[in-house]
Parts: sequence; C-alpha cells; structure tokens
Amino acid sequence: MTDLSKPQATDRPMVRAEGVHKSYGQVEVLKGIDLEVRQSEVFCLVGPSGSGKSTFLRCINHLEKINAGRLYVDGELVGYRQKGDKLHELKDREVALKRRDIGMVFQRFNLFPHMTALENVTEAPVQVKKEGRAAAKERAMALLERVGLADKAGNYPSQLSGGQQQRVAIARALAMEPKLMLFDEPTSALDPELVGDVLDVMRGLAEDGMTMIVVTHEMGFAREVGDALVFMDGGVVVESGHPREVLGNPQHERTRAFLSKVL
Amino acid sequence: MEKTDQGSAQQGRPETIRAVPVRHPGRWVSVAVVAVLAAMLLHVLFTNPALDWDFVGATLRDPTVVHGIWVTLELTALSMLMGVVGGVLLAVMRLSKNPVLSGTAWFYIWVFRGTPVLVQLVLWNNIGFLWKEISLGIPFGPSFWSQESNTLVPVFTAALLGLGLNEAAYMAEIVRAGIQSVDEGQSEAAHALGMSRATVLRRIVLPQAMRVIIPPTGNETISMLKTTSLVQVISLVELFTAGHDISTRTYKPIAAMIAISIYYLLLTSILTVGQYYLERYYARGANRTLPPTPLQRVRALFAGRAPAKATAPASPAAPAAPGDTPPGAPDGGKDA
Repeated sequence: MTDLSKPQATDRPMVRAEGVHKSYGQVEVLKGIDLEVRQSEVFCLVGPSGSGKSTFLRCINHLEKINAGRLYVDGELVGYRQKGDKLHELKDREVALKRRDIGMVFQRFNLFPHMTALENVTEAPVQVKKEGRAAAKERAMALLERVGLADKAGNYPSQLSGGQQQRVAIARALAMEPKLMLFDEPTSALDPELVGDVLDVMRGLAEDGMTMIVVTHEMGFAREVGDALVFMDGGVVVESGHPREVLGNPQHERTRAFLSKVL
Repeated sequence: MEKTDQGSAQQGRPETIRAVPVRHPGRWVSVAVVAVLAAMLLHVLFTNPALDWDFVGATLRDPTVVHGIWVTLELTALSMLMGVVGGVLLAVMRLSKNPVLSGTAWFYIWVFRGTPVLVQLVLWNNIGFLWKEISLGIPFGPSFWSQESNTLVPVFTAALLGLGLNEAAYMAEIVRAGIQSVDEGQSEAAHALGMSRATVLRRIVLPQAMRVIIPPTGNETISMLKTTSLVQVISLVELFTAGHDISTRTYKPIAAMIAISIYYLLLTSILTVGQYYLERYYARGANRTLPPTPLQRVRALFAGRAPAKATAPASPAAPAAPGDTPPGAPDGGKDA
C-alpha cells in the first residue's frame, strides 16, 4: 500500500557511504559499509545488536570518527575536508555547523532534564541559530502540536512518559529544520503500548518527505513506511533492497535466521 | 492517549485500617537523659562566673568585633568567588583534551591542595621577600610598569590570594565531579543539535552538574567562613582576631569566644538557609515534584497533620522522597 501523497524518493543521494570502516582499538565494528540513501527516502537499518548499525548512524553526524572509507552527506564529506589527496580534520566549529542540518533521535531520548518540553525545543534554535525567543517559541509550540504534546509544553521531562519524551525529542530535532533525520532505535526503550504514538509521528514525517535513516527492530514499521532496508551483521551489509522483499523473501541464511527470531 | 477512567477501584472498598501504632518506650528514657544533660549545661552557663554574660553582651557590641564581622563576610564572599570561578576554570582545563591545559590544572591542584592554607597565607603576605617589586613587561626583557610588592599586595589582598587560590583547587575537584556526573547522552544530544563545546558546557552540562556541585560548595562556604580566622597569622583583624584581641586584653577568653561563636553560628545559619533554596532551585526537573519549603511544611502541618504519609497507591514510582509529597501533588502525568 504505497501512498501516492508521499513525495517520491529522488535520485539525489543524501547520504553515501563508501567502504566505511570503524574500529574501537582492536575491535573492528564496521568492516566496509557501502550504501546510498536518497533524498526523501525512509531508509531502515536492521540487524542483531552489535552488528554496527547504531555505530554507523553515529558516524553520519560525526559523533564517531570513521577510520577508513568515505562518508558523504548531501555531497559533502563528513568530518573532513579534502585538499589535493590529503584529508584535513574539520574544526569543532565546522563540524557543529554541519550537524545543524542533521537531526538525531536517541534510544534513551536524552532530553535536557532541567528544561521544560518547550525549552528543550527552543534551546537549539535560540542558542545555535540565534533565533529570537518569541519566534522560536511560536515554532516550538507548532512542533509540539504536531507531535501531539502542545498541552505538555510546560512539563519537565521527568513528568512525561517515555513515549511523550521521545516525541518531544523528535520535535527538538525538527526545530533545527534538518534535511536528514537519524533515528537510533527510537522505540526500543518504550513500553509496547507507547510505541504506536512515536511511530505515528515518524510516519507523518515520512509522508512530508523527510529523509530518514532509522535503526529499528519494528519490522512492521519498516515494511509499511520504509523505502529501502539494509540488514547488517558483524559490521557488514548482508542484504539490502526494498523492505517488503528483504523481509518477505530473505535471500541470505543469516537474514532468515535473524528474521525468524524477531518477526 | 489520556486514560482517565480508573475503573471500579472505588466500589466495595474495604474499610480504612486504623491500627494501634508501635510504642517507643526507649524514646521516653532518652528524653529524660537529654533533659538532665540540658539542665546541667544551662546551670553551668548561668552560674559559672567565668561566663560573664554582661561581658559577652559588651563583646557582641564592641565596634572592632562588629567591624570584624564585615571583614569576615567580605573575605568569605570574595575568596569563595575566586574559588568558584577558578574552580570551574580549572575543572574545564582538567577535563580538556589539550594535554598542556589538563597538565597545568593538575599541577595547580597538586600544589595548592597539597600545602597548608596557613603556609600559603604567610607566603603571600611575605611575597615582598621573594620579589621586591612586581612588573609587567617582556620576560627577561624590559618592563613597562612596576610596583612595589608590599604596596601591590597589602595584607587584605594577601589574605584573599591565600584563601581564594587555595579554595580554587578544592572547588576544581568538586566541579569536575559535578561535570562528570552528567550523563554523556546529554552532551551528545546537544552536540547533535549543532551546539558548540562552550554552549554545551554552559547551557546543558553545568546547569545539571550544579545539583552535584552545590551541596559540597555550601560546605566549602561554611568552612571558608571559619577558615578566614586563620588570617590572624598575618594580623588581619576580622571576627576571630577581634575577639581574640579582647580576650587577651581582658583575660576573659571563654566569654569572648562565646560572643564571636554566636556571630559565627548566626552567619552559618543564614548560609544554610541560602544553600537550601539554591539546591531547591537546581533540583527543578530532577524531582517530579519539588520538596516543600520549611514554611510550606509548617503550614501543611497546621492545615491537617503530616502531609501525605500514605502515598497514593497509584504512583509506585513516586518522587525521590515520598514522605515529602505535599497533599494533592500531581502524581499523574507519568504513564498517561
């Protein structure tokens, strides 16, 4: 059931990974990832824990440094600048500038506990983009409305349920008007009955044409909303394709073994 | 998703338990013991001639003592200010990835925490022996401005340097512990939003670290109030020195010390109240409901017995101090 209202994924690559390697000391977590995420695409990353999918996600906004390969966001190299055949590390300020365009949602929400829901959403626009407080507040209220939490604007995170916190976290990321959203297991820390509200918000985002990379165990969401899916295991891409194909008719033994446990 | 119907909890509710509370006979015995001891203390206080209360009263009003209070307060406030600002700076340096900065901070803390503050006070007061004059200029080259050390570092400045720089070393460790207590996910989330390092520290990490930083800082402030008495060694007249001068002049040390103790107790009491409200302010968001202020507590007590001793069964994950929940506190919100 492909909905026609949704803006179709274009051919322009939003994220391109070429042989991305990442190791922590002796342990190699990513062993050469090649993939391409197109604009307006909902790109799902699935796989067992320890397969490197979260690490890969964190490389995209340079929370982790890659050790080999190349990673591009919107055509620009992540974390480095190429001069001739040499790579130069970007300064903190330049990295921060690029992160503005990439929203991230964490498994444990990571809302700022000393700020209300509203303040969580206005913080980055005011501090980073130097937006006026009144304007930022107005936009933040609209975003909270969008995630269904306008009435909780004055609540502190500790006064919100997990599902509500995660929706505030999504609003907080959207406040920076990103061109790409990264979701790191956004529903894994939630009670089952609260998962639906968060997925609804994400579905709405997808319909509006947001480019999204989603690390998830929600196969239903991947099948229904996803445009592309990659199955990762042991730091490599095992299988990729359209979610319905990969989930419905997995070609690889390891994919089949994994899916038989989670579906 | 707001579910308001609590179902049939109200129907057929069994009668409220009214049990006979546990008796504590031991408490009555201890009350008697304490009462006897208190009576003995009062007896000494009001009958012993060494405790000349008229003299205590006169000492309390003595102009040098009253002036001493202000010197003590000034020294405490300024050296704590130096300590906190220096401490934050040193803590950030210590946690920096830059080895020069973290090494420098480590060395500073090692020196200033490793030597007695009394020694540091004497050193600062005698800096003139080390350098007759202090000048600004090119190292080993010409100087543009210079001043005699004894003019530049009068005794009050020496006291301030001794106390403040020493305090900075202690505060650095307190602030560092506070910063490290903040979950790493917080700075990650802030960085992911595009905030700079400085903004993350100022807006996200430090405000949360404050919860851990404030209680020991309150201790440090109260401790500093009393440590200022050490400046007697460099002959700066503050509260203790003023009292001590009177006691040696009049041979009434007990009365003089009691007089200044009254002032010290008064000042620490005021600081304790300040600390309470500061802690309360930085606890916002950390507790689902803030504990009531003492005033609210007293009011609740008069309004109708102990506030909410029996927590509503609907909120098993009640705030940190369940006994402190005021009646009618919002225990909803969670698990909507």
